[in-house]
Amino acid sequence: MDSDTKQIAFGLRHRDVALLQSLVEQYQYRLVRYLIYLLGRRDGVDDLVQETWLRVLERGSSYDGCSRFEPWLFTVARNLAIDQTRKRRTFSLDSSDDEEWDAGAAPHTSNDPSPFTLAARTEDAERLALSMQTLDPVYREALVLRFQEDLSLQEISSVVAAPVSTVASRIYRGLATLRVQLEKGNHAI
Amino acid sequence: MQSDNHKLFQQMIDETLASGAPVQEDRALREHLQSCAVCEEYLNSSTRAIATLAGFSFEVNPLLHAKVSASLSQRAQQLGATPLSRRRWAFACIGAFVLTVAGTLLDLQFRSLIAAFFNVTDVHVQQGLLHFWIVSSLSPVLLFLLLPLLSRQKERAL
Repeated sequence: MDSDTKQIAFGLRHRDVALLQSLVEQYQYRLVRYLIYLLGRRDGVDDLVQETWLRVLERGSSYDGCSRFEPWLFTVARNLAIDQTRKRRTFSLDSSDDEEWDAGAAPHTSNDPSPFTLAARTEDAERLALSMQTLDPVYREALVLRFQEDLSLQEISSVVAAPVSTVASRIYRGLATLRVQLEKGNHAI
Repeated sequence: MQSDNHKLFQQMIDETLASGAPVQEDRALREHLQSCAVCEEYLNSSTRAIATLAGFSFEVNPLLHAKVSASLSQRAQQLGATPLSRRRWAFACIGAFVLTVAGTLLDLQFRSLIAAFFNVTDVHVQQGLLHFWIVSSLSPVLLFLLLPLLSRQKERAL
């Protein structure tokens, strides 16, 4: 892994477009998925993905190659998403205060099906789609980074700029919500 | 008491799942799970919830990759052009600085000689050198010193 990350860091320092294009191919889906989990919507995600890669090109020299590339990439994407949502003034992503999150969170307001409903491929996923949409974005983000992206608690902590204990508690709470929804679904059956 | 026990083990399950360590590695937890249906159910529904996350598969715009690649190439070209012009600018400024120093030395050392040669006063020579040589060559040097500030502002705007 070390030589890979060093190679990426070297390429980014030299603005190696071929390397960047291979990274785009490798991380495109994961970046899209992360941003959908973070924002709870599909619109605007493509633009954010594009902006993220442009930012990677411009500020690539700040990646030192000493840690994995993914957390750094997600941090770049997250910062851009925060900037965008600040501009939209819909809700605040960088707040560590959960209550503030709850108060401002309005990720999906149209009558179209949510991105989670559209993306559900299993019965359980269909059952959870609605609660995923209403779940606090910070919990969704912690869940995707931990269980989909396989980032360690320390890595997630660096991405979300919050202590490891906060990250862990977001994962517990997120899981608790999903468990309840799955159990409700079982009882309904 | 029993519920406290469940709470403790369920907290252990949460911690183990969040840290990514296999639940079976913790001996106390493993033994408890063998005899406790409530906590076993808790573990099962937690792992099911985690597995459900893999059941979401998002569609990616097929044109996105091409769009990103094109904008990367275009931006890289723009960025690649900047250091070259900056280097040229730096060389020009070094030249201007040398000219400034030379003009100043000329003024200090040979002002009287020049005045005598052209049959003008020392003050005229000094003003001439100052206006047409020293100030005009000093301006690009001062502008170059302002460049880092300007580029920092540009980066912030990005």
